[in-house]
Amino acid sequence: MTEAMHLILIFEDDQAIQNVLRMLFEANGFRVVIAETAARGEQDARLHRPDIVVVDLGLPDGDGLNVITAIRAWSPVPIIVLSARTAEAQRLAAFENGADDYVMKPFSAPELLARVRAIVRRHVRGELPMAVLELGDVSIDLGRRVARRRDGSDVRLTPLEHRILETLARHGDRIVTHASLIKEVWGPHRNDSRALRVYIGSLRRKLEVDPSRPRHILTELGVGYRLVIEAEAVGGN
Amino acid sequence: MSMHTSAAAPSFSTARSLRQATDVLFTALDRVGRMIRRFATDAPQPHPPWYWPDYLRALAITGITTAIAFPLSPYFGLVNIVMLYLLATTVGALRLGRGPSVLLATANMLAFDFFFVPPLFSFDVEDTKYLFTLGVMLVVALVIANLMVSIRRHRETADAREQRTAVLYAMSRELAVATDAQAMTAAAVRHICAVFHGTTVVLMADARGRLSPMSTQPAPPSADPTFDLEFAQDVVTRGERSIKDAIYLPLRGVRRVKGVIVVRPQPPTRVLPAEQLNLLDAFAAQLALSLQRARLAEAAEAARISAERALLRNTLLASISHDLRTPLSAIAGAGSLIAQPEYALNVDRRTTLGNLIERKARDMSQLLTNVLELMQMEFGSGTLRTDWHAIDDLVGLALRTNEARLAQWRTVVNLPADLPLILVEATLIVQIFSNLLENAAKYTPPGTTITISATAREKSVLLTVADDGPGLPPGDSERLFEKFQRGRSESNIVGVGLGLAICRAAARLHGGDIRAMDNACGGARFEITLPLEPQVDAPAPELR
Repeated sequence: MTEAMHLILIFEDDQAIQNVLRMLFEANGFRVVIAETAARGEQDARLHRPDIVVVDLGLPDGDGLNVITAIRAWSPVPIIVLSARTAEAQRLAAFENGADDYVMKPFSAPELLARVRAIVRRHVRGELPMAVLELGDVSIDLGRRVARRRDGSDVRLTPLEHRILETLARHGDRIVTHASLIKEVWGPHRNDSRALRVYIGSLRRKLEVDPSRPRHILTELGVGYRLVIEAEAVGGN
Repeated sequence: MSMHTSAAAPSFSTARSLRQATDVLFTALDRVGRMIRRFATDAPQPHPPWYWPDYLRALAITGITTAIAFPLSPYFGLVNIVMLYLLATTVGALRLGRGPSVLLATANMLAFDFFFVPPLFSFDVEDTKYLFTLGVMLVVALVIANLMVSIRRHRETADAREQRTAVLYAMSRELAVATDAQAMTAAAVRHICAVFHGTTVVLMADARGRLSPMSTQPAPPSADPTFDLEFAQDVVTRGERSIKDAIYLPLRGVRRVKGVIVVRPQPPTRVLPAEQLNLLDAFAAQLALSLQRARLAEAAEAARISAERALLRNTLLASISHDLRTPLSAIAGAGSLIAQPEYALNVDRRTTLGNLIERKARDMSQLLTNVLELMQMEFGSGTLRTDWHAIDDLVGLALRTNEARLAQWRTVVNLPADLPLILVEATLIVQIFSNLLENAAKYTPPGTTITISATAREKSVLLTVADDGPGLPPGDSERLFEKFQRGRSESNIVGVGLGLAICRAAARLHGGDIRAMDNACGGARFEITLPLEPQVDAPAPELR
């Protein structure tokens, strides 16, 4: 539909993966530009003004992290990292440099497509502050700070729980790193992840259908949390 | 005539005796000063060589004796007066050092001569027989003084030796228990400080011979970092004990000086008696020996570990190459099938082949992750990047990663809401759960229920992953945790059998362990224990 207009710029030097990605996105109505090097890709980005960028971290002429920083310097275009680097520190660095999402290689095609679509959709829609958050059968009025289940029963959230939820919601379903979440909720002088863990746990117990299998408040190991508003975006099950 | 000569002779002999006595006095003072030091820290501080109050005391004793004897002399007779003086010498020598004792003997003799031997109030001697009396009196007094002092000195030396042996023994016992250089150094510093009251710093030389202070934990309360590094460096080159602002003792190793102990005794003294220096040398030798032992033990351990690693590496390579080729040939086969246009595969078959390729590739990726994880744990630095985590969070992640794999299994999560946070490296704990879930999917039929539960105990948390499947294979359950072990050998199940080995390595890295057993009501059960860190100022739940 409207996706027919969307241009995706892919930084990837491996021929095989280039082919797979091109097939995947062209088959789903994207226009695809592929850059084999960081330098070429940065030029393409200025030239084509893509709607979304997919970056591999290991590029022949430089680190993908620098590509993210370079693009972020002039454009808010959504950036998804597609990388074989699994180390937490690497992922965290990508988010801190301004990446919007991180998909690990080997990737599953439907999952990558779902993430790309979700991000594009949100970007197009714009990040309007949500007044009412619908998570499963709980609806939370962020402005009035009340939460109610579909059956009419109240869900009592503490002020801190509200602040955490609000912060997560403000970032849409992008990952919020631990550090920035703590900073936004507790202020700049706290550096204790324990309280955060405890509150996330209690939020899940109040909002998730099965708190041990969260569908909305997801942990990104070593990086942070992500609030998934439409449950369909969860991994490829 | 006799009168005059006899008068001259005694004065001459008195003078000579005096000179002799002074000689004895001085040589004795010299030695006594060095010898009569005591090692015991609790013992009263030893007197320096010129401890003049003792000389005053000696003169006072003479004065008092004379004061007592003088009024008695008309009734007492000279013989008894002599006895009185000898008694005074004996009693005095019991308490005084050699020098004062000699002074006491001489002063007594002179006082007797002056106050009692006619002519009174003169050092002259009227009757020659008194010369003999005076001579014998001096000799007897000196002998008594000497004996007394010797006895005391022997006792003191014996005491000191005993003290020294006890101190050295205490230190060597502690050094024998210590396993690392730091603990050894700390023990040595503590003992030296206990004996010398001052401050002690141990400087260790690095590979290039540069000295730097060894941090000792807990730091002695009187830790004082002042020392002359350049001088200490000199001591390393020379390899000899040297004294400057403090005492610098080299720690001699087999080939080179490994460090320097800097001792600054309290109260500060420039000169320490030989015994104390010997004791310090003994301390240094003990510490050097122990450090040598620690180093050898370390080297042996390193050699053992590297041999073990080499073996593991070889086995690992052999298994991996086999276990990677199998899925690779499936992938290559499926790919070539799809690529042939003349086979005209229908959509169903293409889908089957595509799924097969994806599944095999994922298996390989999982295998690779396992291998890398294990390598990192086995060959890595061994330090964990820990953070506080909620157990339910980690369980949730493991379930999410294995969601597709476990689609046909029933998973039950049974975690109490008040579980404490654990201080762990999250990826490793997720890996443990992930591997156990994967194992359950491999070795139990679809439809089996897998239950994950946790119980907090006082100092640890018990995590269990149990199923109601066919249970563990017969045999020793511990063997499951060895590398390259599979529940059923010769099966077509993919994986090098690293899963449980990784679980064990990960649990042990955290100071915990994992065990496998059969459930009472059938099925396999894996129990992981992880130590609970003290929840220092843990966040209290918000009140509302």
